[in-house]
This record gives sequence, structure tokens and C-alpha cells, in this order.
Amino acid sequence: MTRRAVVAAGLAGLALLAAGLAGCGRGGGEPAGTAVLGILLPPGERPFWEPIARSFEASRPGVRVDLIEGPQSTDLRENLYTAALLARDPTFDLVYLDVTWTPKLAAAGWLVPLDREFPPDELAALLPAAVEAGRYRGRLYRVPVRTDVGLVYARADWLEGAGLPLPTTYEELERAARALQSPPGRWGWVWQGRQYEGLVCVFLEVLTGHGGFWIDAATGEVGLDRPEAFAAAAFLARSCAPGGISPPGVTTYQEEESRRLFQDGRAAFLRNWPYAWRLAQREDSPLRGRVAVVGALSAPGGRPASTLGGWGLGVSRYSTRPREAVAFIRHATSLASQRALCAPTGYAPARLEAYDDPELRAANPLLGRLLELHADAVARPAVPGYAMASDILQRHLSAALSGAEPVERALRAAARETRLLTAAGGRR
Amino acid sequence: MSGRGRAEAWGLAPAALLLAVAVAVPALRVAQLASSRVTLGEGIEVGAPTLEAFARLWQDGRWWISLRTTTVFTAASVALEMVLGLALALLLHRRFPGRGLARTLVVMPWALPTAVMALAWAWIFNDAFGVANDLLMRAGLLREPLAWLGRPGLALAAMVVADVWKTTPFVTLVLLAGLQGIPSDVLEAAALDGLGPARRLVRVVLPLLVPSLLVALLFRTLQAWGAFDLVYVMTGGGPGGSTETVSLYAFQQYFRYLDVGYGSAVAVQGMAFVAAFAWVVARAARGRGGVA
Repeated sequence: MTRRAVVAAGLAGLALLAAGLAGCGRGGGEPAGTAVLGILLPPGERPFWEPIARSFEASRPGVRVDLIEGPQSTDLRENLYTAALLARDPTFDLVYLDVTWTPKLAAAGWLVPLDREFPPDELAALLPAAVEAGRYRGRLYRVPVRTDVGLVYARADWLEGAGLPLPTTYEELERAARALQSPPGRWGWVWQGRQYEGLVCVFLEVLTGHGGFWIDAATGEVGLDRPEAFAAAAFLARSCAPGGISPPGVTTYQEEESRRLFQDGRAAFLRNWPYAWRLAQREDSPLRGRVAVVGALSAPGGRPASTLGGWGLGVSRYSTRPREAVAFIRHATSLASQRALCAPTGYAPARLEAYDDPELRAANPLLGRLLELHADAVARPAVPGYAMASDILQRHLSAALSGAEPVERALRAAARETRLLTAAGGRR
Repeated sequence: MSGRGRAEAWGLAPAALLLAVAVAVPALRVAQLASSRVTLGEGIEVGAPTLEAFARLWQDGRWWISLRTTTVFTAASVALEMVLGLALALLLHRRFPGRGLARTLVVMPWALPTAVMALAWAWIFNDAFGVANDLLMRAGLLREPLAWLGRPGLALAAMVVADVWKTTPFVTLVLLAGLQGIPSDVLEAAALDGLGPARRLVRVVLPLLVPSLLVALLFRTLQAWGAFDLVYVMTGGGPGGSTETVSLYAFQQYFRYLDVGYGSAVAVQGMAFVAAFAWVVARAARGRGGVA
């Protein structure tokens, strides 16, 4: 390299470094004294938060809400929040939390308790199950904004053609699926079987449907090596085994892979979230008017239950404007804001009166049904080591489904590891 | 120091600073976290030094599995990449019409972001919509669709295929540069001595290519050993944890379980293994008068 090239390259490096450092600063061009509230959102949701942020700013002069677009993936946004909180970074005043993050972030001391700001009579206006999911060790850290429930969809036209009723039990589902399928072109039942959080959501529904439980957050008891858990896991394993009602590849599916199969008319039943309904009913959808909502299923001795999902807001411990952040949460859960977020998207609101709102009802005909499903929803356990507990279950279930481990042995191992985890207070 | 030397030192200073800030400081910090009692209070609090985390590693079954997975993945990927990379380099070294275009095309996969490429491969290996099953069934090699990413051995093999596709171009480029450095009169002399093409390759070209081969081997091993994005996107470590690499495991401990100390220990121990390997290769290269 010539001398000039060396110097030029060096200068270019310095310039890059300087640009990087300068990029770390925030704001700029803000009138002095403006309080900025930062929140990281999935990119797809930002347009619907825009009116909520603007109406909040209008009611609070001197406050600006900075809606920062994060990656689409839930895991990646969790990592961004985690990295910021680990570094005590005040960029994100508000944390837009998935239902499963609460115990982890609360146990780390990164969220401000909100019990005093949100008294019981105010919380009574929100879905009880969704509020409950925001508590950790009796204190409230997350206020729900929108919720999700897992549910089973069916091809109503196929069922009708075969003279079959909508199934209400897993046994009926299996029988109907078998009658309607002709693999590999058309399958009976598709769901999420990949080793990830979605598998835990599916299993929790089948488990509760069979009368079992995962972890009792109150007593710390683990139910994974009980007969009900064996029966639930055996049902899933049987479904994707050769000659079963699900494609063998279901063990690699997340939401979209399973939904596409259903949307393509290649499956009779689908387990997914409410968003799948909207896509099935679109103008250009071949399934328009052909899909029925089965809801949740059960087996003898169990209760039909949907896994509870959803998103809520918490206040970062490192926020410099906690008071404004609380005010924003209150604003986001108002009826007007719930309309702004849920009418165009079809999300299920957290506010109870929103379920009777004519505008929202018109935007989402499924709303009444979702409210019913919420009443029976089952939450994932709020234990501090939730991520680890979930991974233990995911690994062993996935091994059982892919045939690498017999069902009972896999669940016994999962139960043993989970007990070690809960005994150690969530930390191993 | 001469004037020229001083100017070069100044010119290199920003790069050195960048290396220190971007590599040395974080690496030392991770080493410190791995060998201390770490708690999460007000941010990350570093306590007394301890080697507990490393002791815990040896009893951690999941760590051993991830180590085995990483080793198999690295060995299989790098071996295939070296063979294919060499073949491609020899081909592209020859003169033929359209060589420029061919060289550009070969480099394309290397230019793609890994996450994007991994997502594409995940769909290629999808059982119902995937091209892999479709082609194999049309060719009569498969009777029914295979859940590639749903079986432990197959999932790892699929990952190796994706990695080979993406990074063989790198090996090709390094070896092509090495081939161009071989003086043509050496080869002409060998031809005059009556050596056929195959023997010229084995007796003359390959020995002269050893430094480039070692560089390619070293770089590829380091990268394959650290495989993260490919696994994260294609399988998430499944099925049954069978494709979890050391990097993915360190990441899970650090970010998902917030076990900062243990996650750092997993990363440091993994780094130690690969550093030892790099040292052996670098010594071999020096023994050969290589450039590494």
C-alpha cells in the first residue's frame, strides 16, 4: 500500500468511528425542555400507534413520544430491550412487553411496580386474565394493551360435505381430521411444532385440555410427569408420527408455515392465533366464508383452554420520565386508543368495554368469540426463570415429537430439570 | 523512526484504535465476566473472581451436546468447502469464454446476508412447499416429502448444505488468488518434464498452494465455529436441541436467561478451543513459510 493510501484508509476509519459515536446521541432539533418518551415497537404496529402518540402529545404540551421501529421478530426486540436495560440505558422509557417477558424483566428489577398508579377499580376495566399476566410475585408490572388467544380453526365446508359436526374434543378432532385428510396433498391438522415458544403454547392448550398443568406458580409444583401430561404429549406425538393427522414436517413449523398450508386448502384444521382469521377472510382468500372457529378443545377430565398471549406496557426502571410514561399507558388503554390500535388491525383489545364497541365489532366479527375464549384462557407460569423453563420443555417435547426420545422419558426428564430450576428459585 | 515509518504508524493508529474498542475491550470484558461472580442489581455487578462457571461447564450436558454439534458442523462444512472451493478455483483459473461472468456469479452467495440466506434455505427445506423435496421427488429419489429440519441428523445436514453454499465462494476466492501467484514457468517446466495434468496438480500446484489452503482453512474454521445466525434462523437449535451450537447456547444463557457470567464462560471456553486450533494452523503455516 502506498503511503497516501495508508493515511487515507486511516482517516476513513476515524471518520467512521466518529460517525458511529455521534450516532449514539439522541434527539437533536428538539425545543429545549421537551420530554421525550421512547418506546420500541414492532415495525408493523407503528402506523397504528401514531395516532395514539399524537393525541397523547396534544393533551400534554412539552411531551413527545418517540415511536422507535424495532425488528419484526419478538425475540430480537426482547434482546434489544434486554441489552438496553442491562446497560441501564434510558432510551426506552416504556417497554412494550410480550406476556412472557414480565417475570424475567420484573425479577431483574428493570420494571417499575405500577400498583399504586393503577388501583383495582381502574384495572377492573381491563380483561382480568390479561391483567393477571402482568403480575409478578403479587405486584403489577405490566398493563395489557392488546391480547391474543390460541384457537383452532376448521374448514366448515369440508366438515359439512362429510356430514361431520364441529369437534369439541381432541378425540373428535382426530376422527374428523382422519376422515377429511388424504396425505400428503391434504392433511388433517396443522399446528406449531418447531422447537420454540409456539410449541409451548400449543402444548399448554393440549395439556390443560387433558386436565394437566405445567408449573403451579403459587406452589412451585411441576406437573410434567403426570399421566395427563403424558396423554397430552402422546396426542401431539401421535399426530405427527407416520400415519398420523399432521404432516411430519409440523415439527419444523412456526405460525406462518402452518397457516400457509391451511390457507392453501391443504389442511382441515389449524391451530393458530386470531390474526389467521383476518387473512382467511380477505377478498382474495380462497378460504373466505369457508372457515369456522372451533375455539379450544378438551379431553375427558380436562377443560378447554386457550393459551393467553398478548402485549402490554411497562415502565423502565431507568426512565427519566416515569410519570409521563404512566400517563401514556393510561392513554393507550383508553377506549379511543384501543379503537385506533384494534380497529384497523383486528387485534383483540384489553379494555372490556371495547368488546361491545360497535366500531370494533364491525371491524372484527370474531371479537365476541375471543372474549369468551379469554374467560377460559390459560397463562404461562409467571416464574422468574421462565425462559429456561420454556426451553427445557421445548427441547424435550421437540425430541419426543421428532422421535428422538420416547414421550414419557422426555417428559420425565423435562419435569426433573424443571424441578431443579424451580428449587433454585429460577436460577441454575 | 524514519518519516515514512512515522506516517504509516499514524495511518494505522485509527485501525488499531478501532480494533481495541471493537474487539479487545469487549473480549476482555467477557473474560472478566466469565471469571467473576456476576449479579444483576444496578446493571451488571461484577463481584469476586471465581472459576465456578467453568467448573459448571464440565457438568452441563447441554453444553457438551452443543460442543459436539459445533464440532461436527464445523468439520463437515469446512471439509466440503475446501474440496468444492478448490475445484471451483481450479476451474475459474482456466481461461474460457464468460470467465468474468462466472467468477462474479460464484461470489454472489458470499455477498448475501446470512440471515436472509438462512431464511431462504429454511423454505427450501420446508416439507410441504420446499424445492428440495419437490426436486428429489421428481427425480425419483424420494417417495414422500421429508421433514428435513424436523429430524436431528437431517437438520444438521441441511445446515451444512446451506453453509457450504454460502461460504464456498470465500474459499474459492482465496485459492484463486493463490493459484494466480504460482509462476507459469514452474508449471511449464513440469509439463516439459513430462508430468500429466493430474500429477502436476498433486506434485506442483497443491504444494505451492498450501499457504492459501491454510489461510482458507483457518478463516473458515473460525467462522464456522462461531455459527449463530444460520442456526438461529433455520432451526432455532431444534429439533430436541440437536442443532444448538456453542454460540447459540452462549447467547441463550446471556440474553434469555440473563445468566451473564455463565453465558460469558460458554463463549470464552468456545473461543479457547478455536484459538488453540488457530495456533496449530498458524504454526503449520509458518513452518511452510506461509503467510498466516
